[in-house]
Amino acid sequence: MVTEDTFGRWETEQQLWLALRQGDEQAFTFIFEKYHRTLYNYGCKLTTHTAVTEDAIQDIFIDIWRLRANLTEHISSIKFYLYRTLRRRIHQTLDKYPATEEITDLSEPDIMPLSFSDSQTLLIESESNLIRAQRIRELLALLPERQLEAITLRYFDEFSIEEIGQIMGVNEKSVRNFLYKALTAFRQTQNFIINFLLIICALPIF
Amino acid sequence: MKYTPYSLTDLIRHDAFIAWVLNPDAESDAYWKGFLEQYPEKTKTVESAREYIYLLAEDTGRNRPTEAQSSKMWKVVEDSMYVEEPVAAEEEKPVVHAWRWLRVAASVALICGIGAMSFWYFLRPGEMISLRQKVAPAGKGSIEVVNASAAKRIVLLPDGSSVVLDPGSQLSYQKMQTGQKREVTLVGKGFFEIVKDPGKPFLVYSRGIVTKVLGTSFSVDAREKTGQVKVEVKTGKVTVFPVSTGATEMEVSNAEKKGFILYPDQRIALTAGSGKVLKPVEASIRELDQQDISSQLFVFDETPVTEVFKALEAAYNVKIIYNVDALEKCPLTATLVGQPFSKKLAVICNAIDATYEINGDQVRITGNGCK
Repeated sequence: MVTEDTFGRWETEQQLWLALRQGDEQAFTFIFEKYHRTLYNYGCKLTTHTAVTEDAIQDIFIDIWRLRANLTEHISSIKFYLYRTLRRRIHQTLDKYPATEEITDLSEPDIMPLSFSDSQTLLIESESNLIRAQRIRELLALLPERQLEAITLRYFDEFSIEEIGQIMGVNEKSVRNFLYKALTAFRQTQNFIINFLLIICALPIF
Repeated sequence: MKYTPYSLTDLIRHDAFIAWVLNPDAESDAYWKGFLEQYPEKTKTVESAREYIYLLAEDTGRNRPTEAQSSKMWKVVEDSMYVEEPVAAEEEKPVVHAWRWLRVAASVALICGIGAMSFWYFLRPGEMISLRQKVAPAGKGSIEVVNASAAKRIVLLPDGSSVVLDPGSQLSYQKMQTGQKREVTLVGKGFFEIVKDPGKPFLVYSRGIVTKVLGTSFSVDAREKTGQVKVEVKTGKVTVFPVSTGATEMEVSNAEKKGFILYPDQRIALTAGSGKVLKPVEASIRELDQQDISSQLFVFDETPVTEVFKALEAAYNVKIIYNVDALEKCPLTATLVGQPFSKKLAVICNAIDATYEINGDQVRITGNGCK
């Protein structure tokens, strides 16, 4: 019996949720233990202030316990519910106490002008894992906040495009856009590096 | 130029492809294998896309809270759980007063209870802790396989290694092993055949005892009734050492330096949890049990491949489906000691020019036979 996603001694997610609504402390503890780490990881993509993320996670769990009897009866995914709530909470906090930097960058500036052809993407298929890993790290560090958020929700948290849209409060097309831009930016960085290397290699010739 | 349906970026964004990479199942496996058969020139692209998806998942998941942060957050949440809503009724003072005492007493009792519970939960020696803290620190992407049947059961790990689990035993592992280590937790008894990967050591956590290898075959017996953990090596070299629960990376690496090194046909027994040596490193006594995989040699000399399949079926408790008429005449000469199950199949199929497909505990061999 292989269980991909387990809910402790509760057979299904719905049963776990019901137990929580009925005031089962173990169910509550279990939900906190199961989700708080990935929630924290997600929160860190929304704000660089870890204290804000910590507070927000505490707050949403305190509220869930306090208002457990009034929680929605039917829930499709506890994880989805928690993520959406966390995002709202963090954004509320940041609006109330505006941080020094701009929080949401609506213009999403391109990292580099698009000037290389797609054919060069073939090159990245044959490079070593080490270089690949390093490049991904560099790229993610450069990505605008919302693209990074979308990438995290997609690849780490494994939400569907539809769910990501609902969590981020945008339509599916925008989510696809975020993801597309992120991966395109990635390609451009890649091409930039290759060109840079080509130039370096060509230098001794002159 | 031939029309190719998916570029690298297409694949990285493809819903079904992502789902297959992160959560493969038989159906998606079959689909993408079929895809590769149709477009063999895409093999490299698919491999790169897989790697990128792993990396994206790994890198975007790096911001985990420390244990200290986790407990701090939980403490705040927990404290709030027992705070009652402020009472508005001022006029019934004496009653409120009495109630307040009762409430305080009840809260104290509750908090003590919770404390005792968590004390019991966190400090109980053995697999619970190692499972929680050592294998799946994120609590995510962890797969648990329980062998509830009365027979042995094969578990194929994502890296190609295989484990034969005894009845009543349980194995947990991460479905994505993108970190520096391959880590699994064993409760009960299992025989491991591990794919060599010197860059990524393989660690088995079992009731406070760690068995570390780079690629080899060995068995770990950490059944609860015995109170001890026995490790026996068949091929290669393994290191065995105890770790205390909640040990830091540093402490683990120090413990490892003082660990016991076992070579082929050696075994050791330690007490579960504390890691006291019960039986020092000694030579194993080979029990000639044909049913037990750890004592089987898998050395074949001009053996009909159908006999080889029978031996594999018995050792791994799987069903191998093949065309007897076609394969009967294929002789096999091979030494298949210590390789994981899928590697063994690959070697055999390569020798008889056949292909294999694993589906749960069923294996289908397709080949045209030998002249």
